[in-house]
Amino acid sequence: MSRSLTNIKSLFPLLQERPELVYLDSASTSHKPKLVIDAITSFYSSENANVHRGLYELSSSATHRYEQVRSKVKDLIGAQLEKEVAFTKGSTESINIVANSFEGILNEGDNIVISEMEHHANLIPWQQVCKKRKAMLRVLPINSNGDVVLEQLSKLLDKRTKLLAITHISNVLGTVNPVREIVEMAHVKSTPVLLDAAQSVGHMPVNVKDLDVDFLVFSAHKMFGSMGTGILYAKEKYHNMVQPLNFGGGAIREVSFDETTFMNYPSSLEAGTPNVSGVIGLGAAIDFVQQINLEEASAHTKQLASVLREKLLMLPFVKAVGNPIINSGIVPFVVDGIHAHDVAGFLVEHQIAVRAGHHCTQPLHKKFGLPATVRASFSIYNTEADVDKLVYSLKGLKKFWS
Amino acid sequence: VTRLDRLYDEVVKRHSSQPYHYEKRNEQGIQAYNSICGDRFDLYIDVKDRMVNTIYFHGYGCAVSKASTSVLGRVLEGRSIAEAKEICNQFLRLLKNEVIDGEKLYSEEFKSFAVVQEVPARYDCAALAWKEVEKFLAGLDSQDY
Repeated sequence: MSRSLTNIKSLFPLLQERPELVYLDSASTSHKPKLVIDAITSFYSSENANVHRGLYELSSSATHRYEQVRSKVKDLIGAQLEKEVAFTKGSTESINIVANSFEGILNEGDNIVISEMEHHANLIPWQQVCKKRKAMLRVLPINSNGDVVLEQLSKLLDKRTKLLAITHISNVLGTVNPVREIVEMAHVKSTPVLLDAAQSVGHMPVNVKDLDVDFLVFSAHKMFGSMGTGILYAKEKYHNMVQPLNFGGGAIREVSFDETTFMNYPSSLEAGTPNVSGVIGLGAAIDFVQQINLEEASAHTKQLASVLREKLLMLPFVKAVGNPIINSGIVPFVVDGIHAHDVAGFLVEHQIAVRAGHHCTQPLHKKFGLPATVRASFSIYNTEADVDKLVYSLKGLKKFWS
Repeated sequence: VTRLDRLYDEVVKRHSSQPYHYEKRNEQGIQAYNSICGDRFDLYIDVKDRMVNTIYFHGYGCAVSKASTSVLGRVLEGRSIAEAKEICNQFLRLLKNEVIDGEKLYSEEFKSFAVVQEVPARYDCAALAWKEVEKFLAGLDSQDY
C-alpha cells in the first residue's frame, strides 16, 4: 500500500518551516523529505568512513551502504545488473562522461542527433565533441506545441549516426517525449540512445528495460535527494567503451610510473572519494519514492499543470508557451509587456518561487522568439491552492503595472 | 509602501516604459550582457574631445536593468570622461550602500535604485550597463579622444 499524497508536504522540513512559501521551482531542484536529511546526518554522525578502503567495521559498513544504493537504483530504473549503474556528480557529469567516451569512436563525417528542446547539459557536450572530431550535430526540430517532429527523425538518422541524445521530459515545456517510439526508430538504424531523465526519474515510472535506452542519466537532487550526486546507467555492451573523465585512486587495478590498468565500469568512473553521504541520501530518496505511487505522483503534477494552463487562458495578458501532447508538471509562460524577471520579482513578494530566464535552453527560447520565460513547475507537495495563489498574484501583477 | 513599490517606483516605471534615447543602431555598440538571465543591451556611446556626446541604447532586459540604463544615458550625456567615470563610480557605490554621508548625488533618480541593497538578486539588473560603461570609459585612457 503506497503512501497517499495528501499531507505529503508535512514530510518536508523546509516546507514546514516556511508554510507561506509557494514553491513552484521543483524542476530546478526538489525539496528534501526528512528521511533523506536524516540519512545524510546519520551517516556523518555515526557511520562516517571512506568506502572501498578500510578493513575496519565502519569502512566496510559504509562500503556496504554505498553499494546497497547501487542495487536500489538498479531496482528503481529496472536495470538488469547492479554494475550497469555508476555514481557521478549529476546528470551533467554523466552526459559529459558519455560524450567524452564518444570522442574516441567519432570520426570526421559522423553525426550525433539531439533535439531542439535539449537543456544545455545535453547539447554542449555533444556540440563540443562533434567540433573536435569534425562530426555533425544534427537537431531534431520541435513544433510550436513543443512536441518533437517525429517524422523528421528517420531522415536525420543514418549509417554515420553514432548516437541519439534526447531528454525524457523537457525542463522548459514539460513535454514528455515518446521515448519508446524514438528508441525504436533509432535502433532500427543501429543507433544507441542516451536518455536525459533528470526530470522524469522519481516523478514517473521509468524503466530502462521497457524503454530499451542504452544510456540514462539523472540527478539525485531533482528527485528528493541531495545535490552533487547523480547516476549514469549504461547497458553492459557499452561498458568497455565508457571512459573515465577523472583519473585517480580507487579506479585502478595496477599502477606503475609507465602504465596504469583500470578497473571495469562502473568502478573505473568512481576515482577519488565519492560523495558517499550523497549516495546514501539518494538511497533514502529512493526509499521515499518507492513509498509513493509514481503513477499517482505524475498524474498529480500533470493535473496541476493542466489546471494552471486552463486558468491562464482566462488571463488575456498571460500566454502559456507550447502545449505538448503529453504534459508533465511544468508550465512556461510570458506576460504581455512585462519582462520575466519583473514577473518573478513581483511573485517573490507574494512568497511564490518560480524560475525566470532561459532555463539553460537558449536555442529553445530562440525558436519560440522569447528571450526569457517564467516557469512554474510542480512536485508532489504542491496543491491546487498553489495554482490559485499564482493566478491571483498574476492578476495583481497586471494591476501593479497598469 | 511595500518593498515592491519601492523597487518599481515612479522613476523605474517611467524609465522602463519610456526609456531615454532607446533606439536600434546599425553601428557596433558596447554590449552589456548577463548570461545568467539573458538580459542584453547594446549601448551606442559617442565620445568626442574627451566628452560624452550622446548615448543611445537598445536591447532586452527587465524593468530595473532597462530603467537603470536609461538613467545612465540621461546622466552621462554632456559630461567629460573624467566626470562620467566619477558618476559611474558613485552609482555603483550607491548600489552597495557605500555612498558617504552628505555626498551629493549626481542625480536624484539614483535613489530609486538603492532598494537593490535589500533585494540582492536585483543588484546585477541595476548594475548591468553601468559596469560595462565604467570599463569602456577606463579603456579610453590609453586612446586619444
